[in-house]
Amino acid sequence: MRIALRYAGIYAVFMTLGLSVLYWTSNRYVDEQIIAGLHQRMIELVHIDTAKGRDNLITALNAQQAGNVKLQRHFLLLSPEHQKLEGDLQAWPPDLKIDGHVVNVWIAGKLISEQSTADGYWPMLAETLADGSRLLLAQSLDQAEELQEVILYTIIIILLVSVGLALTMGWFIGRTLLARIDKVSMTAKAISSGNFSQRVPLSDRNDEFDELATQLNNMLTRIEKLLAGMRQVTDNIAHDLRQPLSRLRNRLEITLLEKRDMLEYQQVLGETIEDADELIRTFNALLEIAQTEAGSLRGEWQTVDMTALLADLGELYQELAASKDKHLLINVQQGLKVTGNHHLLAQAISNLLDNAIKYTENKGRITLSAKQHAKGFVVQISDNGLGIPYEKHSLVLERFYRLDTARSTTGNGLGLSLVKAVMDLHGATLKFADNKPGLAIYLHFESATKGTKV
Amino acid sequence: MRILLIEDDKQAATYLVKGLAESGYSIDHAADGEQGLDLALSEHYDVLVVDRMLPKRDGLSLIRMLRADGNTTPILVLSALGEVDDRVDGLRSGGDDYLIKPYAFAELLARLDALVRRRTATKTVTHLKVADLELNLLNHKVSRAGQLIRLQPMELRLLEFLLRHAGQVVTRTMLLEQVWDLHFDPQTNVVDTQISRLRSKIDKDFDKPLLHTLRGIGYKLDELA
Repeated sequence: MRIALRYAGIYAVFMTLGLSVLYWTSNRYVDEQIIAGLHQRMIELVHIDTAKGRDNLITALNAQQAGNVKLQRHFLLLSPEHQKLEGDLQAWPPDLKIDGHVVNVWIAGKLISEQSTADGYWPMLAETLADGSRLLLAQSLDQAEELQEVILYTIIIILLVSVGLALTMGWFIGRTLLARIDKVSMTAKAISSGNFSQRVPLSDRNDEFDELATQLNNMLTRIEKLLAGMRQVTDNIAHDLRQPLSRLRNRLEITLLEKRDMLEYQQVLGETIEDADELIRTFNALLEIAQTEAGSLRGEWQTVDMTALLADLGELYQELAASKDKHLLINVQQGLKVTGNHHLLAQAISNLLDNAIKYTENKGRITLSAKQHAKGFVVQISDNGLGIPYEKHSLVLERFYRLDTARSTTGNGLGLSLVKAVMDLHGATLKFADNKPGLAIYLHFESATKGTKV
Repeated sequence: MRILLIEDDKQAATYLVKGLAESGYSIDHAADGEQGLDLALSEHYDVLVVDRMLPKRDGLSLIRMLRADGNTTPILVLSALGEVDDRVDGLRSGGDDYLIKPYAFAELLARLDALVRRRTATKTVTHLKVADLELNLLNHKVSRAGQLIRLQPMELRLLEFLLRHAGQVVTRTMLLEQVWDLHFDPQTNVVDTQISRLRSKIDKDFDKPLLHTLRGIGYKLDELA
């Protein structure tokens, strides 16, 4: 509301200034018209006097008086001896000089004309005629003043109406537009106090305010998502890291309960280090997922030769597969490139290869292939192992989620979460499919993408 | 071997000083960046171990000062910051190796050893040799006891790295980083299978094994077990 009042005030000031200028210029225009009129008439009268004689002049002067009541011109014709010959003015004003200029001379009404009550400065023009007579032309200001009054009243009315309008508009803006800003600030207030599910309400007008609200809401959604992710990490730490920590602690405590021989101590310490390493690994994985999801690992963004990366990792895992009596087949096209983080991409692919080898039976067959595609390329990792039931496809991407069939194997349930985060960061999509039997995973990259996540 | 350890965490420092002394190093310790810089500039050390976050002067700025001064002592950076970008920062500012906390002591030892020896072994060689195992770097021919051994390119790279670090412990992460250029910890030990394959080619048909596995630590290519 304050804004509305202030703008109405500013508007009123400008209106007043503008209309004052208008008033002043219109007054000036009227004055100029009067002056020009007097000069013009004087030239005509002098011409009549010289060309047609004094009688004609007097006729013309009287005719002017009779015909142009509205014009309200007055005159005085004096003989060379300063005797009044003709005219409705009583006497020659003492200050008036004959210099061809229109001057404003103070007239006390009665002195000039018996009827006139118009005291004031009248514009006058005097001229000496050929025979030495003098002619005075004066303009009564009654009419001009009337005109100026009309202009002034009009201006005052316009001013009042427009300031009134401005105030109404301001009030209206306050009621509607500013009320919408108030909604935004109310939402912000609610969020500051911790209610992150709040959103700025949208109107159906689809205007700039709605655009702003939509952008704000998008931002809020992203923030809420990041916060939820963070909360999930802390929950995970509380739940999934506390348990192994307490196990580790218990074992040490029990070992200390009674005296044991050296070998036993060594064994317990060795196991404890292994457990600690496992914890560190889990912790690192959680951190990496969180950082990847938040998009904070984008510093070293570079062109990654996916063909080389896949071939290298493939070779590394081929040997691992062979040692477990499984077969990894590699079929990677040349020239596949993506803009991204080499380290994260390698980690993601290695997680998938690791899973594929882990969850296939002996003599299992795994393929790693990559092919150029319409707008990019697809990396496919498929196996003939246990697969993932369709209804669990989105669950396995969540942190720490492990299929019942996987619980007997080692792992922390974070591998696929990281893969998903890395794919999102690179603007790539991850899809599961049934390989009948087994699992097929498709990673769809757009070539040399910048990644869509900000 | 003289080491300067610049680490402000008292417990970690005590533990490192003790561990390194037991491993035969003579070690000086500085508790902040300024003191560390003074020591590094005034004394001669074979290797520096620098924590990244230090009071008074941070580790990276200390390293930059040293390098600007023309000091070329190998430096191992320790850091609790574990992102790849941080590693890149650490190496760019003049560090020679980067180790993320928490780390295994064996890993630290192996890396220190590699740093110290790398200095003395940087001259160009054409042959690498341990016992009767030989690699000709010019034609990439590998032979043991005069018998030619065929290796895949990846195996060749792995063997070259092991030969260059013969007699030293090399850890799995060192191999992953330097042979495969992978900076992460795979869930399954993929390096082990690569080593086994290499071992089957260079050791299997011979009496004396050269490529040893040190359980929980890494590997060592050496004449002596």
